[in-house]
Amino acid sequence: MTLLHFQILSGALFCIGLYGVLARRSAVLILLAIELMLNAVNINLISFAAYSDSAGITGQVIAIFVITVAAAEVGLALAIILRLFRTNNSVDIEELDLMKW
Amino acid sequence: MPVLDSAITSGVQMAWLAPALCVTSFMVLAIFGRLLPRWASVLSLLAISGAFVVFCYVLFEFLSIGSGKYEYWVDWFRVGKESLSWGMIIDELSVLMLGLVTFVAMMVQVYSIGYMKEEDRLTWYFAVQSLFAASMLTLVLANNLLFMYIAWELVGACSYLLIGFWYERRSAAEAAKKAFVTTRIGDVGLLIGILLIFKVTGTFEISEIIHIAANGGVSSGTLTIATLLIFMGAMGKSAQFPFHIWLPDAMEGPTPVSALIHAATMVVSGVYLVARLFPLFMLTPDTLLVVAIIGLITAILAASMALVMTDLKKVLAYSTVSHLGLMMVSLGLGGFTAGMFHLLTHGFAKALLFLGAGSVDHGTGGKRDIRELGGLWRRMPITTITFSIGALALGGIPPLSGFFSKDEIMLVVLNNGNPVFIVLTILAVLMSALYMARILLLVFLGPLKTENRDAHESPLVMTVPLLALSFLAVTAGFLAFGWSQYYEGFGSFLFYGHPEKYHFDPVVISISTSLSLVGFGLGWAIYAKRWLSAEAITSKLSPLHRWASNKYYIDDLCQWCIDHIALTFSTVVAVFDRIVINDTIVNGTGQSTFSAGFKLRYIETGKIYNYAFGMVAGMIIVAITWWLGFPYLDA
Amino acid sequence: MSIVAFYALAAICLGGGLGAVVSRNVVYAAFSLLLSLMGIAGIFLLLLAEFLALVQVLIYGGAITIVILFVIMLTRSQEVRTASDNPHRPLAITAGLVVFGLMTAAMVSGISDSTTTQPIAFSDLGDSLFAQWAVPFEIASLVLLVALIGAIIIAKQNTEK
Repeated sequence: MTLLHFQILSGALFCIGLYGVLARRSAVLILLAIELMLNAVNINLISFAAYSDSAGITGQVIAIFVITVAAAEVGLALAIILRLFRTNNSVDIEELDLMKW
Repeated sequence: MPVLDSAITSGVQMAWLAPALCVTSFMVLAIFGRLLPRWASVLSLLAISGAFVVFCYVLFEFLSIGSGKYEYWVDWFRVGKESLSWGMIIDELSVLMLGLVTFVAMMVQVYSIGYMKEEDRLTWYFAVQSLFAASMLTLVLANNLLFMYIAWELVGACSYLLIGFWYERRSAAEAAKKAFVTTRIGDVGLLIGILLIFKVTGTFEISEIIHIAANGGVSSGTLTIATLLIFMGAMGKSAQFPFHIWLPDAMEGPTPVSALIHAATMVVSGVYLVARLFPLFMLTPDTLLVVAIIGLITAILAASMALVMTDLKKVLAYSTVSHLGLMMVSLGLGGFTAGMFHLLTHGFAKALLFLGAGSVDHGTGGKRDIRELGGLWRRMPITTITFSIGALALGGIPPLSGFFSKDEIMLVVLNNGNPVFIVLTILAVLMSALYMARILLLVFLGPLKTENRDAHESPLVMTVPLLALSFLAVTAGFLAFGWSQYYEGFGSFLFYGHPEKYHFDPVVISISTSLSLVGFGLGWAIYAKRWLSAEAITSKLSPLHRWASNKYYIDDLCQWCIDHIALTFSTVVAVFDRIVINDTIVNGTGQSTFSAGFKLRYIETGKIYNYAFGMVAGMIIVAITWWLGFPYLDA
Repeated sequence: MSIVAFYALAAICLGGGLGAVVSRNVVYAAFSLLLSLMGIAGIFLLLLAEFLALVQVLIYGGAITIVILFVIMLTRSQEVRTASDNPHRPLAITAGLVVFGLMTAAMVSGISDSTTTQPIAFSDLGDSLFAQWAVPFEIASLVLLVALIGAIIIAKQNTEK
């Protein structure tokens, strides 16, 4: 099991998350996909940290911070979604095009 | 000549008061003129009389401390290592000009009180008269070229304002514009010449420039070009060919203005310029030759036109041009003293003649065509007498002043000129006598026409200047001789190189006297006694006559040039400016940005997946570009 | 041995991920995500990062998933079956595949071949977090505070009226 395995796993998860962001219609489901992308990044970081000689601690610390910021972002995003639901009575992003030309 | 600086304190320093008084008068009249409508003439007259008093004082001081150049200056500002100053130079030349300008201006202003009596914009008239006097005085006193140029332009501006004084008349406005534009063309040459001299000598001060050039600091090619350019400016102001077209049209202005500006003072500023920079000109014989040739052409051309003109003032105007040509001929052949002496005598005589013409105008109720006048000696005796004195003086009858100055010029031409010059100068002198006789006889002698029955003599305020100027026209000639130990004759007062005494050459005297007599006699024969018919001569020489009366079509040529060359060029430039610069570059950039934005705004669809796709696409492109370009990226 | 564990965990992660992005039922999607996240925690253990595995389970599994489920409950509108279908699906698949291709190509061409993994001691991690990374630590806490306040303000209902 080399670094390449983990990297490919991380890449695959990232792309699955990317597909989710582009193809989903409900805002909550998009958020789920974003979380998936963030976790893929974490795998990447930790695997690099594990397989390198000197950057072990740095990688894990950065991963901790990523998790922190992801948590904060999820909280805020969900608050926005709640707000959105109250005004539009749905979280369908197809109906959101007020900021257009 | 010793050059003394401001360490010498004497009354000569007071010369700056002359222009200062006139400028003050101008400012007061321009700003407060409306509050004191009747005082305009008094104030202006006070200023110019004060200037004349200053001249007398300066002359007295100058004669008592001995001849030399005195310069006084005040530093104005420094640019780098160059410093510019307000300075004045007092030497014989500037004292002479000071006297001429102040005296003639004073006489003209006194005269104007009577002539312009019914005008309503009198305050402005006297204000500009004061400004003109101030700028002309500054011009003759200036010691550096930049200062002189400023005064030069101011003089031109005043001339414009005064010619176009009756601007309600279209012809007057056009004439003023023509005068200004024509002299402006010459001024461009003057400015380039001044800057060229500054570039090679590093200074604007006239005495320093002469010093540097005399010591060989300037290459002769550059000096020739510079002096030619400066002469171009002199040509413009002194109405030499081909810039003479503005002077006859300038007669649209009031007659006192013509007397002051276009006879005695402004038009001689070109001659003065050549005289002031005479040491430079003497170093470039080519330029001097050009000066002489152009002067000669002007003299002949203008004299021939003066013979056929029918408007009294126009004849005098062409006569002025012709005499200015003679002055340039004299200077061009090295006759410094002769040229300046003629300037002096001509100034007095021509001013006198113009004022006399104005008196005729005033007395007959506005008539100027000599075919409508005649026999005025019965009704206007003083005018007749003074006018005759002026005409005879200018024609060169001894012992009036014009005889002496013409004699000197003839001497210079005979000594230094080639046969062509001599013949043409003789012709010009002959013609000047002839046309003078013509107007004198046609206007003043002969039968009185019935419509002129009510012509009256002018009031005292107009005739006193006439008398004063005629006195000078008679006596100024005797300045040529020495009187006392203080003054040994004009030639020792104002000279270039070495003092000259008045030359008593019997041959030349007899030649010039006989020329004048022949001229007058011919005039008498044609116009008074009708022994020779003027009409017969006209019809025999009719092509020449037609050419001369149409001013040799020079005006038409200039108009054609303007219409087809200048206006075409400016149309091209205007179209280019409008289409390329304004529409395409300025408006176009704005317009294209606006329409681009208008088209591009459809990118903002508002839908989230569009934005997400955009981000992904951009990311892919950046990744590919980086990956492909990575080997070429040097760390 | 660890290879088998890796492949199993990888399968769990990928399967859960696919379920999260493909499933039509929102709740099923959320639970698939939970499964995937737990799989990732296992991966972290494989990589000898025990603390992070712990943090992953706690935060993601314990907090974030719960919050998402809450919001799903609160924003339940009529579940239209076809509402989860986005007309741009083919393009999204293409984009995903292209990015995956790019990344794989980059990884394959550039990655080193080491096979040994280093464990990181807990205490070392803690030391560095409070010494070298102290400032980002504090800022991260500030970020959390701001997010907290922001979320409260944004999601607050105007009950004063």
